[in-house]
Amino acid sequence: MTNFIEILIRGLMLGSVYALVGMGLTLVWGVVGIVNIAHGEFVMLGAYFAFWAFSLLHLNPLLSVALSIPVFFYGGMLIHKRITERLIKEQELSALILTFGMSILIWNLAQFFWTNTYRSVSYLTGNFPFMGIVLARSKTVSFALAVGITAVLFLFLKYSKLGKGIRATSQNSEVALVCGINTVKMRAITFGMGIALGGAAGAIVSLQWVIFPQMGGSYISKAFAIVVLGGLGNIQGALAGGLIIGVLESLVTQYLSAKMAQIIPSLTILIILLLRPTGLFKK
Amino acid sequence: MEPILRIDDVVKKFGEVMALDHCSFDIEAGTITGLIGPNGAGKTTLFNLITGVLQPDQGHVYLGGEEITGKKPYEIARRGVGRTYQIIRIFPKMTLLENLMVVGKGKEKRMMERAMDLFRLVRLEEKRNDYASDLSFGQQKLLSLAQVLMPDPQLILLDEPAAGINPTLQNELMALIHRLNEDGKTFIIVEHDMNVIMNHCQNAIALNYGQKIAEGSCSVIQRDERLLEHYFGR
Amino acid sequence: MKIRVGLSIAILMAFLISVPFFATDYWITLLILVLIFTVYASGWNLFSGLTGYTNFGLAWFIGVSGYVSSLLIADYNWLWLLAWPIGALFTGLVSIGVGYILLRIKGVYFAISMVALTEGTRELFGTEYLTPLTHGGKGVPFVAGIRLPTLYWSILLLAFITLILCYKIFSSKFGLRLIAIREDEQAAETLGIHTTKDKIIAFTLSAFFVGLAGSIHFTYQNYIDPTFAFNIQLTLTPIVMALFGGVGTVFGPVIGATLFTFIHEILWAELTLLYMAIFGAILMGLILFFPQGLLGWMKEKGILPRSRKL
Repeated sequence: MTNFIEILIRGLMLGSVYALVGMGLTLVWGVVGIVNIAHGEFVMLGAYFAFWAFSLLHLNPLLSVALSIPVFFYGGMLIHKRITERLIKEQELSALILTFGMSILIWNLAQFFWTNTYRSVSYLTGNFPFMGIVLARSKTVSFALAVGITAVLFLFLKYSKLGKGIRATSQNSEVALVCGINTVKMRAITFGMGIALGGAAGAIVSLQWVIFPQMGGSYISKAFAIVVLGGLGNIQGALAGGLIIGVLESLVTQYLSAKMAQIIPSLTILIILLLRPTGLFKK
Repeated sequence: MEPILRIDDVVKKFGEVMALDHCSFDIEAGTITGLIGPNGAGKTTLFNLITGVLQPDQGHVYLGGEEITGKKPYEIARRGVGRTYQIIRIFPKMTLLENLMVVGKGKEKRMMERAMDLFRLVRLEEKRNDYASDLSFGQQKLLSLAQVLMPDPQLILLDEPAAGINPTLQNELMALIHRLNEDGKTFIIVEHDMNVIMNHCQNAIALNYGQKIAEGSCSVIQRDERLLEHYFGR
Repeated sequence: MKIRVGLSIAILMAFLISVPFFATDYWITLLILVLIFTVYASGWNLFSGLTGYTNFGLAWFIGVSGYVSSLLIADYNWLWLLAWPIGALFTGLVSIGVGYILLRIKGVYFAISMVALTEGTRELFGTEYLTPLTHGGKGVPFVAGIRLPTLYWSILLLAFITLILCYKIFSSKFGLRLIAIREDEQAAETLGIHTTKDKIIAFTLSAFFVGLAGSIHFTYQNYIDPTFAFNIQLTLTPIVMALFGGVGTVFGPVIGATLFTFIHEILWAELTLLYMAIFGAILMGLILFFPQGLLGWMKEKGILPRSRKL
């Protein structure tokens, strides 16, 4: 069944990038309390970041991935301080509509300045054999990068003081508040981290697929499915959720059709919200 | 004579925690019963179970002989059960009059009269066209009582009615409750203030860790020093 | 006072009815769009403005009704006069079920589930399995055999009925119960309000009227396809219009729809490429600085009475 294993591995590789996007969204949603519909747009911006760095500065895309993290981190913090922090006391729906507007603003600006022409980064090409199956270089390196970033994230959350604060807040924000943890600064940092994960995912994506202004759309719907699957604010859940979505997509594309695979995120959201709204995984 | 409320071997768990542990008791119509116990004893859970907000894992709840276990909150409310909350839950963006009218059933004119009667009862008739959010804390408590009374329930559950209001208002409130009780209404009152319980309730039920640990007339409970000391640290 | 208001409305209606007799096609079509979006925005506001359940799936109502009506006209030669209400009725009936299932979900999750429903249906309509029925991604170009003035009068009538309905509901006890659901659903339940029933009724009414306008919309466009029908823009634009005019007011959505359609016309002509970007920026600005909308602001400042009937 090499075919099946191959599909599974492809799904995991796909899912590793989705997981980055999903973890970013769940971090911002669960800890800061902002539902960021524009999250997919930051993935798009990350991809363009890597593209322009590559075409104009001949920067190694792998370096762009690394660079995207601080760039998007600070960018995210700025956006939060200026815009989204104002909505903290409002209902979640205000943030939903606001970020909806932000999403439209961003991708339309991208379309205006960079046009709809498909872009790509031709850096890693070709395949190589691995244990009887054929793997694409770009996808394998992407997978490695995604794993690396995830590992760093988990280490940070587990061992650093700030990371512990974030975990505490995502588990019980009221207690965290009382302990003086959930400050404006911490929210800004968490928001920045969420955006950084999105941007990095985008830079990674640039290695594998075409880049265009509306690409954020498919990532946001998958991200929502991942957050719902994994449980709000549950970062490990989002990791698992991302892998699941990736594998599902790979399987359905192979055995049914690519078009049917498009339904997966929506179907997942509806099923989970109806049957197990808190997500598949316990904290 | 059927008790107006019967709680029969009710169990409610939240994960590992036993919120109500095989609780049973009867409430006779026309009584004022105090429900006492430390925080987390299960008093609010019991209220939630009676009003249908939660379903028991085991056991039954009977209202006037009819089983209401598993019924929806609005069904139970329509059978004559009213309930206030620890944290005041009125509708802030509606006027006082709207707060009452939204709950009323039947002809507009009759509802209007009833609302006015209730406003007079709680002495808020001047403010009836003000927004509920403009009221003071004590006035909101009175409004929530009026709102609960609007559908004319026979069994009324009050969750800490005296909390957070000054003694004068407290007395006014309790006097109101007595008047309504004389008209035949049954009350179950959750209170931490033992004075309120002792001075105003005929009976009391004590809960701790989800279990009923004492039940009886207030005079009996009052004399049980051991009980009071042990559980409430008096 | 009432006579003056009644007279003004009568004059306005007389004017609107007579438009096809003296205006150019350009103006008639512009007004048709204004009226369609008035129904969209008011229909959205009827449910979401009162109950507080933000419905991000308006496009689903529009797309489903639009497809049923358009397919009946295109493939089965039905008359538009029958096809439109059947489409709306179908949507309304299905919405009872959808509402029953999805309205248990609260807050943001409800909003997301409606988006998921819309996106999922759009993808579904494009799959190989449904294409024989829906024509899939190719779309359905069709002509309904209706003249422009007739279409105009139809949507005018619908808009008029919708507004009267909204006015009646907002000033009724039913409307008050919906507001109670928004204020505190659980408390409303323990006070004896059958929240599920009231929610579903409002949801279904919204679905029917929005759907009906949707059927008219696609007949007007002479074309329908999944991307077009289940487009998030169809959800978002009415919401922005309602936001601008004032969510939870009766006439806010009308004002929002009118203003925005005209602004759209101007912007589209001048700044085609940046139009959407500006739209997004306006949306952000509204939420940040003007969440109560025009009518809400006027009520706050005392320019308008704080009556629910407005």
